[in-house]
Amino acid sequence: MAHIQLKNISKTFGNHTALSGLSLEIADGEFFVLLGETGAGKTTTLRMVAGLEKPTEGQVLIDGVDVADWGAAERDVALVLQQYSLYPRYTVRQNLEFPLKPKIRRLPDAEIKDRVARVARTLRIEHLLDRKTDRLSGGEMQRVSIGRAIVRKPRVFLMDEPLSALDAKLREALRTELKNLQMQLGATFLFVTHDQIEAMSMGDKVGVLNHGRIVQTGTPHEIYNNPRDTYVASFVGSPPMNLIDGRLVDNRAVMAPINFELPLKGGAGTSGATEGRPLVFGIRPEDVYLESGAPVEALVHDVENHGVEKILTLRVGDTMLRATVPARTDFAIEQSVRFAWNPDKVVLFDKGSGVSLRHAG
Amino acid sequence: MTQIELRGVQKFFGAVQVIKDLNLKIDDNEFIVLLGQSGCGKTTTLRAIAGLETIDQGDILIDGKPVQHLKAADRDIAMVFQSFSLYPHMNVYENIAFPLRATRKSRSEIDAEVRSVAKTLQIGDLLNKKPSALSGGDMQRVAIGRALVRRPKAMLMDEPIGALDAKLREEMRAEIKRLHIKQGSTSIYVTHDQIEAMSLADRIVIMHEGVLQQVGTPDEVYSHPANLFVAQFVGSPVMNVAEATVADNASAASVSVGGAAAGFEFPRALLSKLNGHAGGQLTLGIRPEGVLVRREATDGFLPVETQIVEPLGSFDIVDLKVGSKMLRARTKSGFISGAGEKVYARIDPSQAHFFDAASGRSLGVRL
Repeated sequence: MAHIQLKNISKTFGNHTALSGLSLEIADGEFFVLLGETGAGKTTTLRMVAGLEKPTEGQVLIDGVDVADWGAAERDVALVLQQYSLYPRYTVRQNLEFPLKPKIRRLPDAEIKDRVARVARTLRIEHLLDRKTDRLSGGEMQRVSIGRAIVRKPRVFLMDEPLSALDAKLREALRTELKNLQMQLGATFLFVTHDQIEAMSMGDKVGVLNHGRIVQTGTPHEIYNNPRDTYVASFVGSPPMNLIDGRLVDNRAVMAPINFELPLKGGAGTSGATEGRPLVFGIRPEDVYLESGAPVEALVHDVENHGVEKILTLRVGDTMLRATVPARTDFAIEQSVRFAWNPDKVVLFDKGSGVSLRHAG
Repeated sequence: MTQIELRGVQKFFGAVQVIKDLNLKIDDNEFIVLLGQSGCGKTTTLRAIAGLETIDQGDILIDGKPVQHLKAADRDIAMVFQSFSLYPHMNVYENIAFPLRATRKSRSEIDAEVRSVAKTLQIGDLLNKKPSALSGGDMQRVAIGRALVRRPKAMLMDEPIGALDAKLREEMRAEIKRLHIKQGSTSIYVTHDQIEAMSLADRIVIMHEGVLQQVGTPDEVYSHPANLFVAQFVGSPVMNVAEATVADNASAASVSVGGAAAGFEFPRALLSKLNGHAGGQLTLGIRPEGVLVRREATDGFLPVETQIVEPLGSFDIVDLKVGSKMLRARTKSGFISGAGEKVYARIDPSQAHFFDAASGRSLGVRL
């Protein structure tokens, strides 16, 4: 079990800056998810903790000790990747035993047997133990890879998009399994993904990474409800938060350029927003309501049917925004509707910097 | 006016049967989506309709006339693929005009038609560009334009937006839907993405291992799946399924899952609707939104313990332990704070599905 700290890390590859001034802290037993797009620096960060990459600047601390001079093996971390990298000619059992049988410090046979059995039970792969790994499905292979990582009882688990290659249904199932496993083991997990649903559903904490910088760290709830900037707002949540350009006039949101207006609540959220300052108004689709007497008229541009609910794309002039409605309501394309928003849920961002006024102050 | 009908279609690749006795009628102007996992036979079916694949048995009829012996070119059907397959050395204008060059149309007629299609697809300003200078979305617009310009009897699309990134995919999906409403041509669209199918289709055709599983409107397929495969393929998060035992409690029916002693309360009408199946092997299916959760003891609700909570932003998915089984419930965001809470759950009878455990077929119980 371990506490991990990255202090002011920078990493350059030639001219390319992969990470700059990155600091983060992962508490012992925490499930920490690093969320970002391809090229954001997620995998580089993970490899740095693993000891596969050296920072150009800054420190990596495990349990308070600077591990700069420690090799990957000494750090005692387990790595699970998207590609399964199992030994194809070995059985599942042999794959699981392998990390316990190094040339030096080999464990006693009884202990090996015991640990493999326990891991197999946890991951529900007992019935597969004597099968060759090339005879397994994708989900089974990924379970074995995870099994091979946990059988060693490492201090830290590092996972690089381990679910990305699986189909949707399996991904959903393994998400829960991984989270359960982490809680059972009480282990420290650093999990890297580009999928915000994975980040939200599994993470105790989520760090959003953009262009080699941490934009925001927080619980899924904080990241979703109080995004630090428009990048986080549009990256987290599916569908993403609606972001509409406008200005504050008389405590009302006046949208440019087509001039529709909606009421706002004053108070903490809007402090610092002076009249006429260019702003971006953020509102989640579930906080946009369709009502016959509502203030703004729009046309239905698209209907996305999720079965349990529908997500409408509304068009007002050139502005598009999304609204979530119950599944049982029927809308036709180009139908005219009226909408309002929940003024308590509006997040105001500075147009220039994109930073939320709640965070700027 | 184009109707397409498949009658008893069979197709083998060597010893492997990829289409098994497929019967399907597609109405004029209808937007049909073939939905299934890779290898289910959906693309083969589409290619058979287009004439790019022969069939071993059965009939394919277009407007009542068998066409299975006609070449692709003689069926008057347009195809759009995932790979855009544009001519790289021709500009957008020439790519769209190409299918008309072989016809006896005059230059000015062709010009008018190319420009009209380009206008519909909002690519009028790209006409002089080469495909290599276009974005993925624009390339697919051009490919659709080239298909439309011939005014084919039907448009067949094979995962046309599968290669685009998520945001563009949503945009293009909306465009394809809007175009269909405007142009109103019979369309068949292949995808493995259930949201795409639910959002585009007038009717969805779900296939699995070469066998048609269900044909229905998005609402029918979601609310009344014909079997366990459809039930678990459509909808996210996946529908809960559990072996269930039904008992008669005099005043109500009781449905227990996961070997739990106490059962969920159902109207007694369930017993007669199960019609003799009550004693047999039953599988209960319930979507996460059909599992109702209360924090305080409520009549008709069973005490259960929460396991992990997945916050998904606008809502949470909470795992509930019922006997040895886990049922996933959809709740308001933040309703349950974490694992180990005692809460009370009920299964909404009107959203419950009962399947024959052996065959997986829905017993059609509606309460």
